[in-house]
Amino acid sequence: MNNAQATGPIRPAQPVRVVIVDDHAIFRSGLKADLDASIQVVGEAATVEQAIAVIAQERPEVVLLDVHLPGGLGGGGREVIAGSAALLGTTKFLALSVSDAAEDVVAVIRAGARGYVTKTISGAEITDAVFRVAGGDAVFSPRLAGFVLDAFGTAPADIADDELDRLSARELEVMRLIARGYSYKEVAKELFISIKTVETHVSAVLRKLQLSSRHELTKWAAERRLL
Amino acid sequence: MSTAFTRPPLVRSSDRIIAGVCSGLAAHLGWPVKTVRIGMALATLAGGAGLAFYAWLWIMVPTADESARRNARRPASPIAPAVSLDPAFSPRPTTAQAQPAGHSATGAALRGTHDAGAAAPAAAGGAAANGPAAYSAAWSAEPLPGYGPATTGYGAAVRPPWFRVRSMRYGKEVLLGAGLLLVAGILIAQLLGVDVPLGTLIPAAAVLGGAAIAWMQLDETRRAGLLDKTKADQAGGWARLAAGLALVVAGVLVMVSGSGSWEQTWLALLASVAVLGGVVLVLLPWALKFWRDLESERAGRVRETERAEIAAHLHDSVLQTLALIQRRAGNEHDVVRLARAQERELRGWLFQDPGRDAGQLSERIKATAAEVEDFLGNAVEVVSVGDTAMTEAHEALVQASREAMLNASRHGGGSVSVYLEVSDGRAEVFVKDRGPGFELNDVPEDRLGVRESIIGRMKRHGGTASIISTPDGTEVRLGLPALQTDNAEGKL
Repeated sequence: MNNAQATGPIRPAQPVRVVIVDDHAIFRSGLKADLDASIQVVGEAATVEQAIAVIAQERPEVVLLDVHLPGGLGGGGREVIAGSAALLGTTKFLALSVSDAAEDVVAVIRAGARGYVTKTISGAEITDAVFRVAGGDAVFSPRLAGFVLDAFGTAPADIADDELDRLSARELEVMRLIARGYSYKEVAKELFISIKTVETHVSAVLRKLQLSSRHELTKWAAERRLL
Repeated sequence: MSTAFTRPPLVRSSDRIIAGVCSGLAAHLGWPVKTVRIGMALATLAGGAGLAFYAWLWIMVPTADESARRNARRPASPIAPAVSLDPAFSPRPTTAQAQPAGHSATGAALRGTHDAGAAAPAAAGGAAANGPAAYSAAWSAEPLPGYGPATTGYGAAVRPPWFRVRSMRYGKEVLLGAGLLLVAGILIAQLLGVDVPLGTLIPAAAVLGGAAIAWMQLDETRRAGLLDKTKADQAGGWARLAAGLALVVAGVLVMVSGSGSWEQTWLALLASVAVLGGVVLVLLPWALKFWRDLESERAGRVRETERAEIAAHLHDSVLQTLALIQRRAGNEHDVVRLARAQERELRGWLFQDPGRDAGQLSERIKATAAEVEDFLGNAVEVVSVGDTAMTEAHEALVQASREAMLNASRHGGGSVSVYLEVSDGRAEVFVKDRGPGFELNDVPEDRLGVRESIIGRMKRHGGTASIISTPDGTEVRLGLPALQTDNAEGKL
């Protein structure tokens, strides 16, 4: 997905200020080296407490947040987002994880993260994801799209249903294509819509994932251990 | 195996007049039911011996249901070794009848007394005062046809090795029998005019019996802790423990007070309860602390075992792979392949879900993707939504997907995305790569990969296959409709 997504988001004129939160120093330095020059790493943290302090002090645009973190009450990335709730309007969180466990991913998204990517993705991809999140969009990896389809079901919404509990037919199409490995640009081309519209749909799905009080969602996440 | 083992276990049959004792006994001994019933009636006339025997068996012998339940829970049931040893032979009472008469009789008598845990009839007849010894002698002296010629020469002094195991396993029954024999011996001695100090013996017996019951309970709870912990069992266990305790206390009281005067006994009881209460009050904190220490130590041991298992696994897999990666550090392709394979293995080990069946479509697709990844070295990412059990058509879908993955990995030259969706029984697989793409019409006729293995295979199984190739990449779309036989209204 390198070439297609590299042209995705518009690169901002100003460098994006980023804080990296991960308990592995090797991973932090590797990530720093991988990130584009237009991304400025202003702080690092290894524990929940450090992260909350650094984020409050630096007020970065984007926080690259590991799902699993030591310290705090054991809540990991979720707890960092909760602890920085006052900044959620200006600071965006992008979750990073090696685990792919639905429970973790859904928990951190529902806490307020704007997207989720696995740690194995390339530097170019993560740079794009940072720009996208900084621009206010959501970042869905194929796997996260798969989680969403699994949790919400693959049938389009009935009118009678609560709007938050089901995906619309168009949102389902977008999620399916992302799960199939399509970039936003490819999705737009496939569905004959603009990239902006794709981003709107993805953001709507993210909102549903965060706000749906659907009982099945948590139950599903708890049952589903790994994809 | 001896024919004595193939006898059906002694259980109370459902074919009954009173409690199914006679028909159960008949089935066990291989005798006609009528004979056993007449024999029992005749024995009843002989001073009520038959009645006592009947009542005894009624109490001691479980019904067929109970026995089955007991066997299910505890394979090494002392009551019915024949069943647990070889269930295939058990429903064959006729084998006993076919034996020589003498052998059958000894075997029958032996099994009868042994299985019921009832040495009482033998004692009542005054046949043997020392039950266990005679019992063992009879067992070892009996030639066992199936045991091999070597055992036939065994005398009473040389016990075959299985005896020790058996005597331990049936310790409860043997103990009970020995106790009853003792009682019988005392009664006979009294009849013969010997003065037996009953005033001392009865309380002593009560103490011993109570202690035995309580200790048996200890053994039971340990076993139950290993096997199962049902509430009913625990309740029964507590009742038994209480009964044992009551017996011991009563015995001690009578022994100590000696006189049998109620007033004194009550006083003694009150005093001892007060003393016991005080002791419990003082010792309780210690006991609790001891218990907690024990628990934490046990938990620690469990953790230690788990740690050792994890360490062993990591050593066998991760450390070996890391060593390989260090040696191949120059070859990026090999390093990535090794790391991917190791990651997959470790994930499988850490998060494997025993509830998920390996025969499911998603598992098969993932296994196939792993295989392709190992084979060609490019990452194959699988995202799956929904699942279904494998059928022949699904097998074709997996094979077609495999071909598509191989092509995508080989010609796409990068990572491959695979998406599986199953909803309402319809299965779809999408295999996408980011290679330069190709024109289907340009593929030579003799290249079977795409035409035969993907499109042809899917069509033969009622599915669809299409290939969309652009300069940005290629996507193979495979679809398999829901099975018609599954549900009549299944959508196509």
